[in-house]
Amino acid sequence: MSNIAQIKRFLIEEFLPDVAPEQLADDHDLLSDGVIDSLGVLKLIAWVEDHFALPVDDTDLDPNNFRSVAAIDAFITQRRAVPASAVAGG
Amino acid sequence: MTTPAPPPLSLPDAFTAHARTRPDATALLWHDRAVTYRQLADLAEREQTRLHALDLAPGEPVGLPAAKSPEQIALVLACLIERRPFLLPSPQLAPALLAALFAQAGARHLLAPLGQDAPALPAPARPAPVPTLAAGTSFLLTTSGSTDLPKIVPLAQAAIDRFTAWAHDTFDLGPGRVVANYAPLNFDLCLLDVWATLAAGGTVLLIDPAHALNARHLLTQLTRHRPHVLQAVPLAYALLTQAAQAAQAAGGAAVLDSVEHAAFTGDAIDARTLAALPALLPRAALYNIYGCTETNDSFLHRLDRLDATAALPVPIGTPLPGVRTLLAAPDGTPVTGPGSGELYVSTPFQAAGYLDRSRDAGRFTTQPGGAGAGRRWFRTGDLAVRDEQGRLHLTGRADFQVKVRGVAVNTAEVERVLLAHPEVHEAAVAAAPDPLTGKRLHAAVRRAPGSALNSLTLREHLARNLPRAAVPERLAIHDTPLPKTATGKVDRKAVLPTA
Repeated sequence: MSNIAQIKRFLIEEFLPDVAPEQLADDHDLLSDGVIDSLGVLKLIAWVEDHFALPVDDTDLDPNNFRSVAAIDAFITQRRAVPASAVAGG
Repeated sequence: MTTPAPPPLSLPDAFTAHARTRPDATALLWHDRAVTYRQLADLAEREQTRLHALDLAPGEPVGLPAAKSPEQIALVLACLIERRPFLLPSPQLAPALLAALFAQAGARHLLAPLGQDAPALPAPARPAPVPTLAAGTSFLLTTSGSTDLPKIVPLAQAAIDRFTAWAHDTFDLGPGRVVANYAPLNFDLCLLDVWATLAAGGTVLLIDPAHALNARHLLTQLTRHRPHVLQAVPLAYALLTQAAQAAQAAGGAAVLDSVEHAAFTGDAIDARTLAALPALLPRAALYNIYGCTETNDSFLHRLDRLDATAALPVPIGTPLPGVRTLLAAPDGTPVTGPGSGELYVSTPFQAAGYLDRSRDAGRFTTQPGGAGAGRRWFRTGDLAVRDEQGRLHLTGRADFQVKVRGVAVNTAEVERVLLAHPEVHEAAVAAAPDPLTGKRLHAAVRRAPGSALNSLTLREHLARNLPRAAVPERLAIHDTPLPKTATGKVDRKAVLPTA
């Protein structure tokens, strides 16, 4: 199941209060224009860990995992399929 | 009879000498990987071969977007060994800005390390006339300021070598020493922690900028690799003290007891972070370093460990050897003895001027207030007070410059870029203090009647025209006029959130 709508709602509440969900494209590059900066990425990771009950390890912290709504969705989907413990040390 | 010590080798010669005499010593640490001097020299040699194959005119610079990695460092070393000037801008600049910078420097070739793709850049609107670089130019750094186009600062290799000699004398960066490098590779701070260390034969612990704000990662890297020397913006120290306190609360060890010299630079440190440093760095001497890209480091203040509880801001201290300083009163006359004024410096490490000499006006000068004839002075824009002991303290700026994460940003320039958007009628930008990042920028604009401008489209406009640190964190878009001051100008202070 896609989490696009939830991700957009979080991003808009936190970072883009004047933007409507349909104005935020799934592939909009959130990092290149500073919608979320590096501290924002940490905030986003905390939300993903909390909201989806997914542990995020240091090795997942590649900012590209959080570059767009689609990338975040793909990361969550992939993380659910492969639990963190199964890839740790791999 | 004693023979005088030979003059220190130039950076590229010193590096190749280390690679020859101590090939298995570690030059770089990058994540879990160690790169020896021999491996780094081999990588550099392959890059030299590639440089030879290019149709480069004598003295023509090459463009190297400075994404930090061992391979990128090898590419810079290849240029240094070949005496080939190189422009080293932030890889995060918007493609159009990067293209304009390379065009301004006359760099026709944009190189990424071997095996990596160079970013595709748009062709600049018009090819600029190619400037002639002074002989002996090596690094072409860019100012971090948020002008429409960053200024290019050419540095002579001889000036760099004078600086690396000072850095090694002061902090001991030689064999067996580990020096932590926090700054992105385009920052002037790397002249100390990366380039002076490779000249001295030490080991550089490279912190990946992609993870630099991850406090846990930063603390782990430093406890694992045990650096002796650490230089970073106050933000890094704030993150480290927070991570250490979190680790301690969880029952872990969080003391960086390998560090002997810990320097903060680029911005004023906050009281809470400073107070936590003696516990985090129990064996370290603490320093406040002051410098600009144009002049390199100019002042050093070594803190008495008891200073950690003393009054803020921390003084910038006393000039480095060979550095001359001058305080100028508003009427331009020099202030001698205790007093306040705008700070001018003249250093053995400085640039002669900007690459575009038309931008020197008002910044590089020969005789501020009629003093210091014959020397070239840089007007810093910083206001300072000289105390009874002759130490200097920064008190503010003579312009609209603020520091965001150690990066200088001119809020008036950000306003100009906002106003250049066709649907923006009024704009105001102000900086609010932030305990972690120093300052955060808030912007407010009034959009044109009927405009559907939103913060997403306005951000895209800003990111195309400004370095990342200059893009305000908060953008408020209004349909009503912005508040005005008594004199009818937009009231910048009204942009800030009310506490």
